[in-house]
Amino acid sequence: MYLKTTRRLMAAALAGAMALQSGAAFAQEKTLKVLLFGMPSTIGLQALAGDFEKETGIKADIEIIGQDVFENRITLSFAGRTGDIDVVHTPAIQVQRWVEAGWINPITDQVDALEDKDDFLKGPLEAYAVEGDTYALPFFAEVGLLAYRKDILEAKGQQPPKTWDEMLSVAAAINTPETAAIALRAAPGQGFNMFVFPALMWAYGGKFFADYPSDLTPAINSPENLKALQVYIELLTKYGPQGVGRFNFPEIVAAVQGGQVAMTVDGTSITSQLVDKEKSPVADNIELALPPSGPAGRFPPIAVHGLAVPSDAKDPEASFKFIQWATSKETMAKIALNQAYPDFTRASVASIPEVVEKYSGIQPNFLDLRVEALNEARGDYRPLISTWPEIGAALGENINGALNGLVTPEAALEKADQEVSDIIDSQ
Amino acid sequence: MASASASAQLERAYKRMLIPTFLAVGIFAIVPLVGMIGLSFTDYHLIRGFRGEVGFQNFVRLWTDGRFMESIYVMCALSFIGVAVQIVMGTLVAVGLEKIVPRWRLARGFFVIPFAVPAIVTALVWLSLFTPTLSPINAFFAIFGIQIPAILTTQTGAIAAIVIADTWTTYPFVMLLILAALQGISTDLDEAAAMDGATRIRAFFYITLPLLVPALTMVALFRFIETLKHFPLIFVLTNGGPGRSTQATNYYAYVQTFQSSNVGYGSAIAMFLFFFAGVISLYIAKRNARLADA
Repeated sequence: MYLKTTRRLMAAALAGAMALQSGAAFAQEKTLKVLLFGMPSTIGLQALAGDFEKETGIKADIEIIGQDVFENRITLSFAGRTGDIDVVHTPAIQVQRWVEAGWINPITDQVDALEDKDDFLKGPLEAYAVEGDTYALPFFAEVGLLAYRKDILEAKGQQPPKTWDEMLSVAAAINTPETAAIALRAAPGQGFNMFVFPALMWAYGGKFFADYPSDLTPAINSPENLKALQVYIELLTKYGPQGVGRFNFPEIVAAVQGGQVAMTVDGTSITSQLVDKEKSPVADNIELALPPSGPAGRFPPIAVHGLAVPSDAKDPEASFKFIQWATSKETMAKIALNQAYPDFTRASVASIPEVVEKYSGIQPNFLDLRVEALNEARGDYRPLISTWPEIGAALGENINGALNGLVTPEAALEKADQEVSDIIDSQ
Repeated sequence: MASASASAQLERAYKRMLIPTFLAVGIFAIVPLVGMIGLSFTDYHLIRGFRGEVGFQNFVRLWTDGRFMESIYVMCALSFIGVAVQIVMGTLVAVGLEKIVPRWRLARGFFVIPFAVPAIVTALVWLSLFTPTLSPINAFFAIFGIQIPAILTTQTGAIAAIVIADTWTTYPFVMLLILAALQGISTDLDEAAAMDGATRIRAFFYITLPLLVPALTMVALFRFIETLKHFPLIFVLTNGGPGRSTQATNYYAYVQTFQSSNVGYGSAIAMFLFFFAGVISLYIAKRNARLADA
């Protein structure tokens, strides 16, 4: 009995030692650790990792984690200087903060040396310029569009709303107990309600700061922003589904797909799920259009994501090779064909016949709409400053509080103004 | 002689058994704790690093920070209501199971299932139940034209939602400990009470319940400290909202540390929480010891 146990233990120890050894051998090969967060395009990229190894002989270990935990994971890695990441998913709204902290390295020279640099869409590429240096290459540029149920609008004799004011009257006309007129992101967060709310803010002539970027005195507490907030609240409380005050994008997708909501304004990664015939029972009745405008113009929500090289990456050149491959025309085209990925960042991909064919299947003018909205979108839709994550959180929480009736819109904006001022002052 | 050396050997063996845990606690609890205490006296910021010593400033700031005060209110609401509900439910189920035990032994396993479900999964399940457009509960009542109000869009409702989800997953813990305590109470007492003409309910309140007090106190202490650490349920279910009305202290420490990058101040909040939990533990442990002596 005793002998048997000892033998088993020894066998286990041996197996463990072997596992360790093979682990060591594995690490000796060139392996890049790539950390991304989950979206159709990154999942598509992960599936192509083998191609990268075939082309370059470098193995890419692509790890995909949830967007909600991504920032904490990154912060711990970077602040702890663990050096365990070679290529990092970099949302444009984080780049200023990460550069200030010294977490990512410039790749200006390599990017300038790219023969096809001009193929990158200008806005998304410029989102990664900080004080004359380039810090990432964009692989994803998502822009907000209006998605609406054309059957419902037609039945009520309504045209798709061109402005937020029209949105109010259309919503009033089509709202029923079975199908609420509209849902917008409401959950507090710089990437949640603060992805959509600035579209109203800008449209009504509001802004974040007195004179961004030279004068960062908060201008949150303005009549224009108040008007925007009032419209946002009226839309959702009067014509939104029950419980919309806690809605984030998953709830919106489910509600539109389930026929409980008729209209939304959201990014292409969300609206493309609504028109996806395999997943969405209402896909045939969904039509996409440019997002509503306001007295000051149209300001489609925009989110840009890129790939950057952490400053403690072991082999920065290999890291850039990966980024170059991942953002190449060929790779983007493959992902565009395999996944719901109309958010590519190279102009040339939009003229590949297979890609055009696939996305015109959604709606004949889908890719054109996207380009038009991207051209109208402003790069500083959400301010490109290092304190934005904190400011966005403060704004998002106050706006959500007002939406749910915890405070008046006036009080919410006043408090938000004060909090933004405190954040800027503590710099 | 032989027996003395044997017992020394045994003692050495016992000591060796403690080594792994000693190391684990030392490395994964004491080291971070010391680090946190150190950081709480600095202004360490994730992006900007250290800018200077601040001494007790972080702790002074706590008492003038409205969000911190609000977070304590939320934390206390979650803890007191949560523990009370869980104790009542756990005890009810335990007493029920104890009385029908011989026939329904398997039923215990059934009642313990929620305890095995991870917090995030629990939160996601309850999030869909509490989302009116997704919830089967709402769909069911809608058949009869009844509209269940949205629970996650008011502060009271959101706190109730967290308590419900928390109770669902932790009442089995209360139940198991109370069940163990019940089995230690002699059935002679119940029988004697019955012979003296006491009703079952009177017997429960005057005999069983007083004998359960030490166990109930222990369970309440465990649960209370656990509820001070609420995080996953808030993170997934309410996102700290509506507004920021369910940002309990532990969640607020996270907000300060990770969202606002204020590691120094976030550590000070965590320190407060640590000592708060420590003081309550000591108080209840002492009280418990007195009860046990009496």
